[in-house]
Amino acid sequence: MISFYREQGFIVTGASSGIGEGVALLLNELGATVVAIARREDKLNEMKLKAKNPENIFIEVKDLTEDIEGLPLYVKTLRAKYGKFQGMAYCAGLGGIHPLRSVDMETMQKIFAINYFAPVFMAKGFADKRNNTGQRSSMVFIASGGGIHCDPGMTCYSGSKGALIATMQSIAREIAPTGVRVNCVSPSLIETSMAGEIERQYAEGKYPFGLGKVSDVANMIVYLLSEQSKWITAQNYIIDCGAM
Amino acid sequence: MTRDEFLNEMVEVLQTEDDISFDTVLADLDEWDSLSVMATMAFLDKSFGVKTEMKDYKMMKTIGDIAAKAGL
Repeated sequence: MISFYREQGFIVTGASSGIGEGVALLLNELGATVVAIARREDKLNEMKLKAKNPENIFIEVKDLTEDIEGLPLYVKTLRAKYGKFQGMAYCAGLGGIHPLRSVDMETMQKIFAINYFAPVFMAKGFADKRNNTGQRSSMVFIASGGGIHCDPGMTCYSGSKGALIATMQSIAREIAPTGVRVNCVSPSLIETSMAGEIERQYAEGKYPFGLGKVSDVANMIVYLLSEQSKWITAQNYIIDCGAM
Repeated sequence: MTRDEFLNEMVEVLQTEDDISFDTVLADLDEWDSLSVMATMAFLDKSFGVKTEMKDYKMMKTIGDIAAKAGL
């Protein structure tokens, strides 16, 4: 059974909705302190209202793509405010279907900024041993089934998630001597606001147990953040109900 | 870059929580591993246009030796 102490602090990005919200609430329910990051303050406050231990949820309003190279410094300021972190769940992300003919640099940069560049620089900040608790600390990044099994129209999205999976494997092996673990979780279509009409149509009948729920993914992420998974690093876990 | 600024940059390169000076002996730092050497190589190249190789670092004993390589 997984449980945390209040002294164990976790950064959760994309914490105002979807999987990020699910992870923040689950960590909080299990006793951890959560620094919840997202762009929308009102949504973060709504999330906090659902928390079992709201006194252990701290809201930070931030657009992670605003100054990507400054993110390591941002993590440092968070550490100064909340102490060293035990873990981070990077759940911010942007979806979308873009047929090759409508791919342009603006779209690609927008998607890569939040799905690839920002997580890399958040990892750079977290991996700084002045910001984490060393042994037993863990980072988890939400990639996507679409980073491995790439459907039509996914030039931008699949590209960003595939790159994320590859990079995190390299970072995991690089920083393993510091005790920090790094893993990805790659869900297929999950019942969140990211699941649009076209995606839902496409997914119909594909998943033997129906569309995935936020909790199906959040449980895996929290396990990977916990000490129960202390021998697991440099992995990418596909959660797709066997569909791919 | 001043010598003080160089020291601050080295704190970031090494990601150390210890106080360092130009007399700090590299071998005494827990952080002085191969990744730190590579990060130092990138730092000297980017900030000073100074290209170094792994073997250069075998001769260096202190932070001051790295500063000398950077021309400070």
